[in-house]
Amino acid sequence: MAIATELPAEAAQPRRSLVSARTAVGVAAVALFLAAWQIVGANEIVRSDLISYPSEVAQTLIQMAASGELGANAIVSLQEFLQGFIPAILIGVAAGTAFGLSARLHALFEPLIVMLNTSPIIAFVPVVVVWFGVGTQSKAIMVFLAAVIPIVINTVTGITEVHESWVRACRAFGAKQPQVIAKAILPGALPAVMVGIRLSVGRAVVGLIAAEMYVSVRGIGRLIQVYSTSDRAAEIFVLVTVVSSFGFLMVTLLRRIETWLAPWSLER
Amino acid sequence: MSEIEIAPAAVAQAHASAPGRERLVLGLIGTLAFLVIWEAAARLDLINPVVVSNPSRIAEAFVAQLQSGAIFADLRVSLIEFAVGFALSLAVGIGLGIAMGLNRLTEYAIDPFVWFLYSSPLIAFYPLIVVWLGFGFTTVVAVTFLLSFVSVVVNTVAGVQSVDPQLVRAVRAFGGSRLDVIRKVILPAAVPMIIAGMRIGLGRALHGVVLGEMFSSNAGLGYRITFYAAHLRTADVFVPLVILVVIGLVINQLGNMLEARLQAWRGV
Repeated sequence: MAIATELPAEAAQPRRSLVSARTAVGVAAVALFLAAWQIVGANEIVRSDLISYPSEVAQTLIQMAASGELGANAIVSLQEFLQGFIPAILIGVAAGTAFGLSARLHALFEPLIVMLNTSPIIAFVPVVVVWFGVGTQSKAIMVFLAAVIPIVINTVTGITEVHESWVRACRAFGAKQPQVIAKAILPGALPAVMVGIRLSVGRAVVGLIAAEMYVSVRGIGRLIQVYSTSDRAAEIFVLVTVVSSFGFLMVTLLRRIETWLAPWSLER
Repeated sequence: MSEIEIAPAAVAQAHASAPGRERLVLGLIGTLAFLVIWEAAARLDLINPVVVSNPSRIAEAFVAQLQSGAIFADLRVSLIEFAVGFALSLAVGIGLGIAMGLNRLTEYAIDPFVWFLYSSPLIAFYPLIVVWLGFGFTTVVAVTFLLSFVSVVVNTVAGVQSVDPQLVRAVRAFGGSRLDVIRKVILPAAVPMIIAGMRIGLGRALHGVVLGEMFSSNAGLGYRITFYAAHLRTADVFVPLVILVVIGLVINQLGNMLEARLQAWRGV
């Protein structure tokens, strides 16, 4: 026992310096990588049309942003994303709540949920395009399909795993079922719901880009497809960066919303 | 930081409130109802059966494609690409994960790149991979590898780092070498996390196969989906699609069994 109590104290000391060591080494490694990439690409040690190099990527980013090409297509993708993602949150949380409260209802839909959850969702892109056309609607549907499943699954888990004691406390003070749901079950499930929403961002982005790459008129995925035949790697790196940044920003934003909406989730 | 997908796979099973038998029957009823409604909608011309297709047409297409045997060639291609890509991701992922877990400097240096691969939509990189590796098998395997190896790495690192340092010290105190520590303590302790990483990696590998085949191949189930969709043969699209869904379900079930086995072995 003596050793066990000794350990955390011992570990606490070097941890503070280790955090900065992690950052320092990480930044150094990335800087080294970028420098090597720049040297190899700019000096044509490897053909630069195949791998590009950081300064060319940065220049291309500025050009594409200045010409309006990036902005115009990003707006289209963002609209498609929101058109699918917001319904996915609303329907996912509503369905998840219903499933969480009624095990029978959940059992009815479980095979469909498991099937959609385990199958490679982008395989549905061609069918969705045939069904809903080459325009923005099919992209919104893909975003919805990709995003809704993690939200449903996490909402169900959140609801079924709410502390029994919270529910009993409400009942003990004479709360009716709707009050129990509003005051104990939904707030208790909120942290899990937010995790589901955050998890679904990545899936939704992939669904969107895949659908746009498959067939579309405008959007970031469309641009990727256009530049894939242009013998230039720089544009692809720019577009990858844009898409990654969007996912990162969304997840950061959702974390902010989570701490504001459900500060109790930090206690977990 | 993006999300480490560890929870959702196990989460689907968490809803244990409905008894097994009833759950199965209800699930069957739900699935049948879905198929019946779909079929009825097509028969009543509420949806266009040629564009949307319906279960009976899909069943006919299934029989026809199984009889002609063409679908088996695609299945074989997909399974080989899947196996090669996933085996590579296991070998590299576990090796790299152990190296990162054992050596802080290695971990700090590689971590940013792993996180970038994990959080960036790799689908956007595919044009570059095609340019680098050419059209077909190699590209599909590379996409499969890239998608799945990250979850193996991340989980292996977490597993190696979760090892109780007292056990390591005990082995060292009794004269065990560093290799003994790895073999007798670290690997056995890390296995559960490695398996968890494999589970997620399996799903992502299937995604990678489909992605690679849809956009840069002329064989395999993913290619076959886009081929039939381009010819607007919707019922035929569903044959490779359903096979992929079944593969997804089988992989998930294998993961469940593997985990159950493991827990029995560890006596949890």
